[in-house]
Amino acid sequence: MGTFSDGIDVVQTAAGTPLHLLWQGRSYTLAAEPLRWYERRNWWDEELRAPLGTGVGLVDREVWRVQVRRDGAPPGTALLTLDLVKYLPAERWRVIKVHDAIHEANEPTAANNPEEEQGYGA
Amino acid sequence: MVHSFVHLHTASAYSAHYGVSWPEELVQAAVADGADAVANTDRDGLYGAIKHVKACMAAGVDPLLGVDLAVLEAVEGGAAGRGAGPQALVECGRVVILAHGGQSLAAGAGYAALCRLISSAHARPRGPVGLTLDELAAGVLDPHTKAPALTVLLGPFSDVGRAMNGRRYLLPRSKFRAWNAAMPPGTLAVEILSHLSAPGTPLSTTHAVRLLKLAEEFDVPAVLSNAVRYGSAEDAPTADVLDAARAIAPLRHVDDLQPTGQGWLKSAEQMRKIAREILHQGGFGTAELTQLWTNTHQLADKCRLDPTTDLGWKKPTTPEASVLGLTQEPAAELWQRTNAGLSHRFPGLRGKELEDVRVRLTTELDTINELGFASYFLTVAEVSEMIRTMGVRRAARGSGASSLVNYLLGISAVDPIANDLLFERFLSRDRSTLPDIDLDVESAQRHNVYHRIFEKFGSQRVTLMSMQNGYRARGAVRDAGLALGMEQGEIDGIAKDLWRFSASSFREAMAEKPELRDFAARVERNRMAGMGEGQLDLLVDLTERLDRLPRHISMHPCGVILGDSQLLNRTPVQASGMGLPMSQFDKHDMDAMGMLKLDVLGVRMQSAMAYAVREIIRLHPSKSDVVEAGNHPVDAAGEGPAYVGEGGHIDLDAIPLDDEPTFELIRSTHTLGCFQIESPGQRELVGKMAPREFNDLVIDISLFRPGPMKSNMVKPFLENRAGFAPARYAHPDLIPALQETHGVTVFHEQVLHTFHIMTKCSLSEADEHRRRLGNPAQEPAVEKTFRDKSTANGYSQAVIEEVWETLKAFGSFGFCKAHGAAFAVPTYQSAWLKAHHPAEFLAGLWEHDPGMYPRRLLVTEARRMGIPILPLDINASTGEYRAERTVGDVIGIRLSLADIYGLSGAELKRIVAHQPYDSLADLRDRGKVSRPILKRLAQLGALDSLQRQAQGISGNTANRADLVAHVNSLPAATPSRRQIMEGQLHLPLGELELGGLPALLPALTPAETVRTELDLLSLDASAHLMTSYGPLLARLGVTTSDRLLGLRNNSEVLVAGVRVATQTPPMRGGKRVVFISIDDGTGCVDATFFTEAQDKSGPLLFGTRMLLIRGLTRRTGPRGISLQALEAWDLSATDTLPLPPVAAAWGPAELH
Repeated sequence: MGTFSDGIDVVQTAAGTPLHLLWQGRSYTLAAEPLRWYERRNWWDEELRAPLGTGVGLVDREVWRVQVRRDGAPPGTALLTLDLVKYLPAERWRVIKVHDAIHEANEPTAANNPEEEQGYGA
Repeated sequence: MVHSFVHLHTASAYSAHYGVSWPEELVQAAVADGADAVANTDRDGLYGAIKHVKACMAAGVDPLLGVDLAVLEAVEGGAAGRGAGPQALVECGRVVILAHGGQSLAAGAGYAALCRLISSAHARPRGPVGLTLDELAAGVLDPHTKAPALTVLLGPFSDVGRAMNGRRYLLPRSKFRAWNAAMPPGTLAVEILSHLSAPGTPLSTTHAVRLLKLAEEFDVPAVLSNAVRYGSAEDAPTADVLDAARAIAPLRHVDDLQPTGQGWLKSAEQMRKIAREILHQGGFGTAELTQLWTNTHQLADKCRLDPTTDLGWKKPTTPEASVLGLTQEPAAELWQRTNAGLSHRFPGLRGKELEDVRVRLTTELDTINELGFASYFLTVAEVSEMIRTMGVRRAARGSGASSLVNYLLGISAVDPIANDLLFERFLSRDRSTLPDIDLDVESAQRHNVYHRIFEKFGSQRVTLMSMQNGYRARGAVRDAGLALGMEQGEIDGIAKDLWRFSASSFREAMAEKPELRDFAARVERNRMAGMGEGQLDLLVDLTERLDRLPRHISMHPCGVILGDSQLLNRTPVQASGMGLPMSQFDKHDMDAMGMLKLDVLGVRMQSAMAYAVREIIRLHPSKSDVVEAGNHPVDAAGEGPAYVGEGGHIDLDAIPLDDEPTFELIRSTHTLGCFQIESPGQRELVGKMAPREFNDLVIDISLFRPGPMKSNMVKPFLENRAGFAPARYAHPDLIPALQETHGVTVFHEQVLHTFHIMTKCSLSEADEHRRRLGNPAQEPAVEKTFRDKSTANGYSQAVIEEVWETLKAFGSFGFCKAHGAAFAVPTYQSAWLKAHHPAEFLAGLWEHDPGMYPRRLLVTEARRMGIPILPLDINASTGEYRAERTVGDVIGIRLSLADIYGLSGAELKRIVAHQPYDSLADLRDRGKVSRPILKRLAQLGALDSLQRQAQGISGNTANRADLVAHVNSLPAATPSRRQIMEGQLHLPLGELELGGLPALLPALTPAETVRTELDLLSLDASAHLMTSYGPLLARLGVTTSDRLLGLRNNSEVLVAGVRVATQTPPMRGGKRVVFISIDDGTGCVDATFFTEAQDKSGPLLFGTRMLLIRGLTRRTGPRGISLQALEAWDLSATDTLPLPPVAAAWGPAELH
């Protein structure tokens, strides 16, 4: 996901789906069905400890691709597509990708674009 | 709504380098979530299956069993790069195969089919492990009824699942079609699972959807799983480390790491959510969701196993009577044979004494028959007799010696009546598990014995037992370091200081152990410095995670499983290291499966003794020669003892047990090489105890155990024995039971007697009480019974209190006297040989290397005893260490060619086959010795005799260094040249060659020679390696081992030598004590390092070879002295030594 990462406040549904977002002073609401998956982390490069009995969120992190509409915007407004990451165990959220033409120009190439086929080693 | 869910695909920790959690953890996690069944499907075998069934039974849920196996596909050899011919089998995917239970099939048929299928997957001698589709299809039906016995789960790890990568839409379908066509109806299901990886990647929901659609299309039932590798989400990082260990590569280079960390045993609720997600994404509705859920549970129900009917749980199985050659009921046969044994074993017994023995025999037989174990004893007797007729030495060990039946059948050589051994300790009505009878045989004959057992009982009834090898600290730190990508040298440096603690307490050990002090400081610095300077903290965490996880399975050192013709339907087998099939079950699985395990242990000491006896015959081929050489007693007619045969053969099992020279040797503490009593601690103990009779050895061996050492039995025993303090008995009633050990409770048997005397319970009940001692859950009940019954029998509270304290302290630690007695036999025999035929005995020890010490220490022992050590000689040495007569009829030992570094078995055979050689050319031609080996032979002096012979004629004065230089200058032989040489070079040239060498080089110094010997032979043969330290030691003022005994107690001395043993036995109070033995050429010095000395010595404690130790002498007995260490130095680090402040430090002469 490159180096882009930005804090975001997320209100979730009971099932854990992001519903309302507060990002850069603006609020958004989910407008289409989101997609969720997990991505590996190279935790051995990023972490200093991995004691027994801990480790949730060490190997992977939860990624959500949400389409949201800015609160108060008229119904025809284009949706904003964001990739959000949920960090465990602290449950902090960050935006790691903005699927918007304007933002996309500034964004480093997506290293882990999930649409790319990845080999599954034997 | 809460649903329960059955996990059908679950790898336990017994899936080596794959699974993370123990079966118990997985079952508990499932049960906590409300599951009523759970499967175990380890990779490649049923390694964790029995533990899983045990855990399920304990939790009251149904076990399911299966296996996760590779599916093999033939590819063109070239493409596979294996060079294994035109077609090679390679893994194209993995599937799970589940056994059907008795609900849908004849009981046991599904499990049997699973066992056989797994065995056939392991049947290719060169691997790979796995099955082709055809083999799999042929194995899933019950051979008798042709009903489906197994279900194959085709999931994302299969070739179908793998074919989904790369947006190929046709390939998965054609592969699926092949499966569907090959598998018989009712044996295939599709495994739907998602580890929620990124859409379109392996184990993603999108792949699960595509697999589900294929299942729909072909109308194959789909079931849900989570391909579990760990019990909880916290364990996911451990799975990563195992992936790296499996790939033998750093994590950053492993390309098949789990794509996410979602492979834990998820709850029913979480599984339901995943199912909904998959079906929703696939555009399915509630009906399909219900269908998936229902399918899963229907398959689970089909696969529920009943341990009793499906697995034959706890039902003892022995070979059929017909195989044992019985023509009558086993019980009748046993009665007949034991009665026949009475007259053989107790020829002189009459009247009351004979009656007592008969009563004992009847009691034993009643118990054996009641338990239905007659055929078990007959089986063991059959094996024991078979070994005897092979001419192989054997001895029963363990509690089996407690049984009169074993003695009468010839299985055990220890008289249980004379030694007061209790049958109840071995077998009782209160336990229905098969007892253990262990047989020791010559180690060098062990494989032959195994082969003969297979031949005798048939390979369908016999298999070797296996053992699981788990991570210990050193292995764990190595693999953790590898995963993190640390440098090999750095990991090695850390690993070498890890000494006997479990990896799970690494952090604790770092805080406590002096040898880890430096490492702990590095971790601390590392932490302060933050990231980038290595990952030592992470290394410690990962090491702890790996602790105890099984790494690989290997052949158990002694277990042989004997069953009936159905054995291979009850355990899968695979090839062992020695080629014979080995069960996938280990010793913990035996009782549960009712399997008869016979321990046939290879004991090197038995080989060494057998070898010594043969060497004695070779040098003294008649009875009178042996009697004279061994100084054995002769009767009035000059006739030697009966245990020496006419041809000079000594029957070690018949030697008298009261031989004074033998006890004198033991008391001298020069017991290096003697079975069980050669360790530093034992030498100290025999020195203190000064054994006078066989029973003293039994007591000595029993005392030198963790239990007695921990509960401080040794000191009061020795004091009472020496008469310093009167023996104390809590009550006179206990005197008969405790007299032989002067009032101290040493043996299990004495605990049984104590319970029996004070509570009037039976001995068999007493043994049940004993087994519960030390178990926090069970001990209180034993205490209550003991107190109540003893009170009722009129014992005072004070007596009861005192006795209970003893019993409680004894816990389950003490030693079974039968074990001690069984061990004492080879102990005595080896000491007897050392006392009477030392050179032949030491030759046997060098040849078979049985002890705890390196061979070079036993060479030192020969030097100490004045036994000539005869150098390597190309004509006199063979492939064995042989006793050899030297001048003056002194027997020396000739070094063997077998241990020359790099000499192959084939080369050795060739050299020996063509002996003797008359010249170097002759050796090259007929021995066809390669140049590197020729050089080593020259360096080790093995060619000196050829050189001297040639020089005797020519008068040449070249030395060994010149010879080595000459051999070095020879051209490397080529096949064509060699052929010419064979025809031409033979006769006089050889002598010219060695007789005409230019004498150019200075002679080798003794130190150089010793260093070469250590490098190439791992022993210092020409002189002790400490000799060259002489000047340094003199400056330091070092005392040698042989002079220590003359010193006053508590004298401060410096000693120096080469480390020969390091031990950290369990000690009272739990404080670690380190025993280090060094050898200085005059003998051993045993130094004890307590906490403070350990602290001062730090990392030197375990890593250093040459040590200088300062310490205080401690007199341990009339002939024993040891050292309480104060501080230690590395003798080779000259600048750190406490040298008197004169001139510059000088090093040892050229040695280090």
